[in-house]
Amino acid sequence: MKPVDLAKKLRREAAFEPAALDRGKAMLMAAIRQEAESRRQPTIIPQVPYADIPAALSFLERAFGFREIPSARFVSPDGVLLHATVEFAGGLVGVGGQGDHGAVSPASGGVESQFISVHVDDVDAHYQRAVAAGARIVNDLRDHSWGERTYWALDLEGHRWRFGQPIREVPQ
Amino acid sequence: MVDLPSDAEVIGRSLEQPEAFGLIYDRHAAIVLRFLGRRVGAEVAEGLVGELFRIAFERRKTFDVSRPSALPWLYGIGSNLLLKHRRGEARRLRASARMAADSEAPARRVGAAALDARLLFPRVADAIEALPDGEREALLLFAWEDLSYQGVAEALELPIGTVRSRLNRARAQLRELLEPGGKSRGRAR
Repeated sequence: MKPVDLAKKLRREAAFEPAALDRGKAMLMAAIRQEAESRRQPTIIPQVPYADIPAALSFLERAFGFREIPSARFVSPDGVLLHATVEFAGGLVGVGGQGDHGAVSPASGGVESQFISVHVDDVDAHYQRAVAAGARIVNDLRDHSWGERTYWALDLEGHRWRFGQPIREVPQ
Repeated sequence: MVDLPSDAEVIGRSLEQPEAFGLIYDRHAAIVLRFLGRRVGAEVAEGLVGELFRIAFERRKTFDVSRPSALPWLYGIGSNLLLKHRRGEARRLRASARMAADSEAPARRVGAAALDARLLFPRVADAIEALPDGEREALLLFAWEDLSYQGVAEALELPIGTVRSRLNRARAQLRELLEPGGKSRGRAR
């Protein structure tokens, strides 16, 4: 007998359950969905003007948990940070200056002309974090009849943010 | 008749459309599952097949698209995964040796050296076990999976000459079990 034939004698098939391949496919498809999900970019990105971009980035991270995407930084040739993008649970916000586009920070303009709503998983924890970082709370945490628990805060320059989480038990 | 897209085309498309990779599973998962099953048994293989394809999906950018079939590449990923399951593999191989010995026993004598099958097959298992990982893998892909030299080379990402020399060394180890004056003959007496 040849050596390879000898090795072949020890080849033995395993007996599989009929569903064996389905479970493997489910595992693969979960990985595929996860990647597809992480690639999906929001189609609408609010651009928010600040007088002091670095201070804004630091505050947005400390208070609200928005993380800057380092690769999205836009810096002038002389090293001034002109624009940055922060990410939160798949949502994006542009953090820019008060340039030619005409939008201004409430810190210099005196008014907020809009606010931004953010959905969070745990609004109570988010509230605690914002308070600890010195965010000005303008509407305290409360439950709403439409099934949401929210609070409102102003950031360093007075932009208005609304944070909310869906709730099951709705107040009468 | 419409030509089906090659694996390389499907994987290329999956870079932009990740869901396309599901077709690679549909084409090859049954073969890959049987390969894993021969090595580590049904239970472990069932747990590994999904992991193998998940790893393949995550590494799909590195697939060499000049190869039309993804199967050797999948074997290679599987071979790496199996390294973590060496103990289970060794157990299964010993059990297979006992079964082979039982089924060959009525013939009593096999091979040129006329060794008793009950003595021979456990030694074959031990000899396969004792091979360095790279030689064992080349031998089992060649002997159990019926891959060509080229297929083994693609799976293990080796030059074909290296596959040839690994298989020659593995053959030489096994041949010693059969030949008069070989290691096992002395022990068999």
